[in-house]
Amino acid sequence: MTAPYLRMHAISKHFPGVAALKRADLEAYRGEAMALMGANGAGKSTLMHVLGGIVSKDEGEIIVDGRQRDFHSPIESLEEGVGFVYQELNSLPSMTIAENIFADGFPQRYGRIDFQACEGKTREILQRLGSQLNPRATVEALNTGDRQLIEIARALRRNPKILIFDEPTSSLSQRERQRLFDVIAGLKRDGVAIIYITHFVDEIFAVCERVTVMRNGKTVFKGQIDQVTSQEIVHEMMGTVENESRLAPDQKKQSHIVLEIDQLSRADELQSISLSLREGEIVGIWGLLGSGRTELIRAMIGLDPIDHGRLRWRGQDGTLVEIAPESLHALSGIVTEDRRGEGVFLPLSTSENIILPNIRAIANRVGIVDRGKQKKIARDMIRRLGIKVTSEDQTVATLSGGNQQKVVFGRSLASSPRLFLLDEPTRGLDVGAKTEILKLILDLAAAGAAIVLVSSELEELMRICDRYLVMSRGRIVAELPGAASKRDLLAAISTRRATPEARQ
Amino acid sequence: MTVNLASMVARFGRRHGFVIVILIVYISISVAAPSFFGTGNLINMFHVMAPLMVVASGMALIVMSGKLDISVGSTAYVASAIFALLMRENTIPVALGWTIALAAGLAAGTINALIIVYLRVNALIATLGTMIAFRGFGLLLTDGGLIEMPEAVKPLGNVMLGPIYADTVLALIIVAAMHFVHRSTSFGRQITAIGNNEDVARRIGIPVDRRVFASFITSGLLGAAGGIMYTMQVAVSTSKIGEGMEFIAIAVVVVGGISLFGGRGNILTAVVLGALLFQMIRSGLQHLGANPYSYRLVEGVVIFLAMYVDALKAERVGGIRLRRQEET
Repeated sequence: MTAPYLRMHAISKHFPGVAALKRADLEAYRGEAMALMGANGAGKSTLMHVLGGIVSKDEGEIIVDGRQRDFHSPIESLEEGVGFVYQELNSLPSMTIAENIFADGFPQRYGRIDFQACEGKTREILQRLGSQLNPRATVEALNTGDRQLIEIARALRRNPKILIFDEPTSSLSQRERQRLFDVIAGLKRDGVAIIYITHFVDEIFAVCERVTVMRNGKTVFKGQIDQVTSQEIVHEMMGTVENESRLAPDQKKQSHIVLEIDQLSRADELQSISLSLREGEIVGIWGLLGSGRTELIRAMIGLDPIDHGRLRWRGQDGTLVEIAPESLHALSGIVTEDRRGEGVFLPLSTSENIILPNIRAIANRVGIVDRGKQKKIARDMIRRLGIKVTSEDQTVATLSGGNQQKVVFGRSLASSPRLFLLDEPTRGLDVGAKTEILKLILDLAAAGAAIVLVSSELEELMRICDRYLVMSRGRIVAELPGAASKRDLLAAISTRRATPEARQ
Repeated sequence: MTVNLASMVARFGRRHGFVIVILIVYISISVAAPSFFGTGNLINMFHVMAPLMVVASGMALIVMSGKLDISVGSTAYVASAIFALLMRENTIPVALGWTIALAAGLAAGTINALIIVYLRVNALIATLGTMIAFRGFGLLLTDGGLIEMPEAVKPLGNVMLGPIYADTVLALIIVAAMHFVHRSTSFGRQITAIGNNEDVARRIGIPVDRRVFASFITSGLLGAAGGIMYTMQVAVSTSKIGEGMEFIAIAVVVVGGISLFGGRGNILTAVVLGALLFQMIRSGLQHLGANPYSYRLVEGVVIFLAMYVDALKAERVGGIRLRRQEET
């Protein structure tokens, strides 16, 4: 085999307080696609930002085509032939395809844009991508797949030698994905070195020749794709799970069913999901990013409209009655990873944050809030949750992440819901705070609430879950008991289905 | 066949809806007040609305980038005051007076641009501040007084070129030029890109700050040009000049179909037809003998309707756009 076209060697990068990259390595070859895999926070993005000149490295060397390079700005990187296709679509909807591709540098003649040249070149690039789109069509009329093609076309405009795809398939349908793979095959024939970042293990076997796995800022695996199995890759991504002991034994619950979901489907995201949740049961949703975990929670509470499916909720009389997702929203306690974005009001005090959802209850007839009552309820909640504050008047902005998350829990608790939907509730918390949140979840379950817990961290799920639902590509692909081993759980998400069903 | 016809009518209505509205308004007023009808009044209306067209063509560019410049009315007043003060001396050539007053507009635009681009103040807030400050500066220059044009300058504001007024021609040239800039130059397309989504524009490498800077300078310059034009027409500079002009200019642009959310619209038709609609309402109410204090009430209703239509359109187009972005 020839020498690599791109070699990144022993790249280190420290951000204040964290080492994002610890002597990471990566090689890419012309005419080949190299899969870059890794869990969240493994350092993939930082490494690519170093290559793109967005982040400067502390140590290490970058060798392109045999010469050592240092990229101090995105422009330098672009000029060296490094192109990016970002995960998010950078579309300008009201403008034409040609304008979208040339927006940052129109060909000009006598001070006006040479639209003819612009459209001609656009047609050429689109043809190279096997597309017959009209360069004059406005982008808002295009579907997601075509919009992504425009993103690729924009990168191709500069004839990149190295092209990085950052999770390109996360919003594509099966057919669009196949077309993308064809496009990548074409680029490989043209001699482009491709770096392909994804969470979908099965994809890399379809498009890539090589694979590099990163974990905790280090490169932990490099090899040819045909010499490795998907299980091995997932193992390398997850690393050895430090088997922290369970906080509570798993139990097979025989209690009443609180919520039953029947054949829930939504667009390309969820495919006939059926499940039931029992009182006092902690159900872990296990799957990689993009498997539909968050989408399921969002659809359950009406944040995204659903196409099919029914939800049944156990009413006062003990029978299951059909319920709309929007109504379920009001009945359940919801905690997400984005506590700052959708969870708490940072400038307000702890007590106000706890009281706000139920502020009507402590207001008198003319709507004036009873401060004394507010204080009392807030104090009770602070004590119950063990929130560390100097007083209930301390603003939430000054609390630690774990305590902020407890405030979010506290808000839901005031209405004592019988169902909690928790989406990465411990994201960004330290080990101690994580354990406290997990204990809090156990308490809620012990008090009879049904709990759905989504987490990217397997070890976390394994500490408290009574049952696991394994998701992949918007489906529940397996159900495992709480006693399932780490091996079983990893195997469940790395199983490649031989024939991915055509979607859409 | 009839279905086909109906859908054709519907499509025609969607595409040319605003022209139809203009025709309906024109015909209705003409029926109610026959003196309104005729080329004479039409030429007159295009004369009176010339300064507004100039100011609105600058505003069109700003709105296209998804921002607002509400200081243009005050900029118009500063230019008017400076021009009138210079003319009062009777020693300064008119052309030099124009140049200095236009330079003042350029300076005003630069101040706005600096505040918005370098201090990162929201454009609406920044120009709200300068709207007040610029008018204060103009009042300081004139002591709030009324300055008449010298006799020699007075007729210049109503010069005819053949059957129409010279300032109408100039205003149309400016609007057409802005239309060309928007449609066919790199600057214009990049401004549109910024109006589509500023973050995306930045990410794909458009020099957003430089383009925004230039657009506010343009707006300041055209604000001053409008102020001078208006002063020449009425042959006097008063402290009321340009008051409320910024909002009428925004209304003209939005009524004409340039989205307040940025990135969509046609400058030529928006400015010309938008200004014409407002001028027809004023002139029409005049010909009908309505109470002059009712003009603003009627204009307010029209502005509200225009914004409502814009919001409806944004929901249809932009709503989809927003949801798509969430999904990624």
